[in-house]
Amino acid sequence: MKGDWLKLIRPLGITLLILIVLEIFSTALVPMLGLTKYRIPFNILIILYLGFKLETPYTSLLIFVLQYTHSFFSIEGWEMGTIAGVIICIVISYLKDLLHLSSSIITIFITQVFQFLWFVIVSVLLYLKEDNFSYIVEKFWRFLPESIAISLLAPFFFGILDVIWRTETDRSLGESV
Amino acid sequence: MRLIEDKDRRQRAILNIIVLLVAFVGVAKRSQTLEETSTFENILIDSFSPIQTSVTSVRTQVSSFFDHYLANISASRKNVDLRKRVGDLENSINGFEELEKENKRLKDLLQFGQGIGYKKILAQVVAWDASSDFRVIRINKGLSNGVRLQSPVVTSQGLVGYIYRLTDHFADILTVLDNNNRVDGLIQRVRAHGIVEGFNNEKSIMKYVSRAEPIILGDVVITSGLGNIYPKGIHVGTVSRIERESYGITQNVEITPAVDFGRLEEVVILSAEGDEQKKREWEALDQMDEAQENQSRSNSGRGR
Repeated sequence: MKGDWLKLIRPLGITLLILIVLEIFSTALVPMLGLTKYRIPFNILIILYLGFKLETPYTSLLIFVLQYTHSFFSIEGWEMGTIAGVIICIVISYLKDLLHLSSSIITIFITQVFQFLWFVIVSVLLYLKEDNFSYIVEKFWRFLPESIAISLLAPFFFGILDVIWRTETDRSLGESV
Repeated sequence: MRLIEDKDRRQRAILNIIVLLVAFVGVAKRSQTLEETSTFENILIDSFSPIQTSVTSVRTQVSSFFDHYLANISASRKNVDLRKRVGDLENSINGFEELEKENKRLKDLLQFGQGIGYKKILAQVVAWDASSDFRVIRINKGLSNGVRLQSPVVTSQGLVGYIYRLTDHFADILTVLDNNNRVDGLIQRVRAHGIVEGFNNEKSIMKYVSRAEPIILGDVVITSGLGNIYPKGIHVGTVSRIERESYGITQNVEITPAVDFGRLEEVVILSAEGDEQKKREWEALDQMDEAQENQSRSNSGRGR
C-alpha cells in the first residue's frame, strides 16, 4: 500500500464525495439558517486525518486534490490550504512516534493543536500577501469556535475515515492493509 | 543519508517540494479581486451548484411553509411585499436626490460618459463561500443569462458587490463585506470621497477620508461611479462610527451596509450592455500602448 497509488483511488473517491456533501451542507444549508459568520472547514479535518493516519509518499498530491475540490466551493483557492496541509503533514511525520490518537480526548486535543498550526501558517501567508494585521486578529476570533467545532467532530469523523481508508484507530495506513 | 537510501522517503520529499513550489507560485499569482475560471472548473462548478440550489430551495420551501402558513397566513406575506416596496421607494428617492445634484446639462454638453444602459438580471442566492474568510455568495445566474465578470450586483436596499467568478450557469459575488472588495464611495451630504472596504460580517470601513470633512453619524454613503465597476449613486450604507485620531490626515469611518446580508435571498445584477464596446476600447488602447513601446524600442536599437 505504501507506494501503491492505485489502492488510494477508491478511498480518495469516497472521501471526495464526503467532502462535496459536507461542503454543500456547509455552504447552502448552514448560512441560510442564519449562521453566516462561521463555516466549518471540513477540508482541514480530512487533511489532518491524512497527515495523522496515512503512510504514503503521495500525501501531498492527495492534499492538493482535496484542496482543489474545496476551491470549487470557495474563492479561497487551493494554494494556501495545500501549503499549510503539506507543512503540517511534514511536521506530523516527524512527531508520528509521539502522537497516538488512542482516545477521543487526545484526538480532540491533538486536532486542536494542529489546527492552530494551520492557522499560524495561513496567517503568515495572508500577512505577507495582504499586509493587514487587523484582518488576522479578526480571523482569529472566527478561528476559535470553528476549530473547536472541528476538534469535537474529529473522533467521529476519524472513525468514518478509518473505515474508508481501512486503518485501525491507532495505526498508520499501509501496515494494516 | 536515510533520505537518499529510502525510496519512499525520497519520493515523498520530491513530491512535497514540487507541490509546495506550485502552491507558492499559485499564491503569488492569485488575484483577490477577479478570477477567470477554466473550462474544467466551469464544468465542475456547474455540476455541484445545482445541488446547492436544490438544498437552498428545500430549505426555503420549508421555511416559507412555517413563515407564511403556520405563523400568520396573510400578514407575513403582506409585510414582505410592503418591505420590498418601501425599499424600492427609498431607493427611488435616493436616485432622485442624486439626479438633482448631478449637473446633467454640462455633462451632455461635454459628452462626459456614455450613459451606458444596464440590463437587470434577477438571481437567487444559492450558497455562501465555504470559507468564513471570504464574504462571497453564489447565485443561480451565469454567462448564459448575460452576466459578465465585474458586473455590479444590487438589491432594492443598496449595493451587494460585484461578480468575481463566473461559470455558464452560476456566479460568485464578492460582497462589500469582503476586505478584497474596494468601492470608491461618496458621503452623500458633504460629497467627501473615500474607499469603502469590507471589514467583518456586519461592517465595512471607509478609508482615506480627509480629517477636515464634517461627517456625522447617520450620513449616507453612495457609490461615486469611479473605478469603472459600479454606477454612481447606489446606496452603500450609513455611517455608524467615526474615529479621529489625534494624529494623521484622515479619519476612519465605519459603515453599516444598506443590505441585510443575513437575509439576502434575491439580488439584481446590472449587466452593462456596453461591455463589449468598453472591452474593444480597452483592447484598442492596449494595442496603442504596445505599438508605442515597440516603436520606442526600435528607435533605441537604431540609436545604438
